[in-house]
Amino acid sequence: MLSTPIVKDLDIDKVYEPAEDTFLFLDMFEQLHEEQYFTNLNSNSTANFVLEIGSGSGLITTFIAEHNIIPRSYNLVSDINIVALRTTLNTFNDNTENTNCDALRCNLADSIRLNQINYLLFNPPYVPSEEIPSIPDADDISNTAWVDLALVGGNDGMLITNNLLNSLNNILAINGEAYILFCARNKHPQVVEKFKSKWTNFQVNCVIQRKCGWEELAIYRFKKMS
Amino acid sequence: MKFITSNFVRCAVKSCDGTEGSFPLNFQDCKLQLEEQEFNEEFIISMLERLDWSALVKVASQLGNNAIPPQKPSLDDINEVLLKDLHSLLLETQIIEGKMICDNCQHVYYIKDGIASFLLPPHLAK
Repeated sequence: MLSTPIVKDLDIDKVYEPAEDTFLFLDMFEQLHEEQYFTNLNSNSTANFVLEIGSGSGLITTFIAEHNIIPRSYNLVSDINIVALRTTLNTFNDNTENTNCDALRCNLADSIRLNQINYLLFNPPYVPSEEIPSIPDADDISNTAWVDLALVGGNDGMLITNNLLNSLNNILAINGEAYILFCARNKHPQVVEKFKSKWTNFQVNCVIQRKCGWEELAIYRFKKMS
Repeated sequence: MKFITSNFVRCAVKSCDGTEGSFPLNFQDCKLQLEEQEFNEEFIISMLERLDWSALVKVASQLGNNAIPPQKPSLDDINEVLLKDLHSLLLETQIIEGKMICDNCQHVYYIKDGIASFLLPPHLAK
């Protein structure tokens, strides 16, 4: 079993604390690693760009880099929360000798060059809510809205994920894959059907599914075929 | 922000999508720091194919490095000296403070304490 990175000095009032959804990502990557999924896909010798959107504590990106799960990878993380980005970089540096990581304060992938990302990871704010708090002033780092923004996703919890799904085709390189987490209340079977009918160049499948207490979580792979 | 990241970021303003001035950004008033890292020849070679070379040359020159060959070297004429130079530029060079300007819309993005911010004011956000 692969070790879980240690997260030191996490300020849970400001940064999302790793929870069942985070660990579902770790378990999925461990399973894919055992199946040699990524090494089989990457028999050529080109570098891979990995982008995690909303990296929070940094546990997921650190885990895949520490255990070299995706070969020849350069890891980018984005988050709107500056404290989360600093925590991610600290977690990364505390756990791995790997230094190929950089952090950008950015909404989704808005500042990333188009069609470059080989692997995208997104544990979104997926909890249904009546509204989403507005983004605080960038320098107001102690505002509690930052951690709420890591959780709530508006109507069906899909507001932020839908924004990403709409730009996925522009973000991913050809053969690029996005791994996105959903909960049952996101009505993911319908979301996926709608996505597939709009984007016929994608293959979509559920990689892992789990009941966590009252929540039911699933991670889907969206692969851009052409 | 590591130098290599400059090859993968663009202006975040929606109306700049796909415009020539939105990539590479124009780097100004940058404070650099060299952070030593282990040299991995295989990784630098694997990265070559992914780089936009003209953007790399342009940004390197904005940061005061004019020693990068103007054309991307082919795998045949690459040597260890060049790979080590690239390693030092791409992975060891950190931009600690500075500005990045979009040549299309003139929006200024800032790098502070090593982290670049691309958050937009509400009237420009997508």
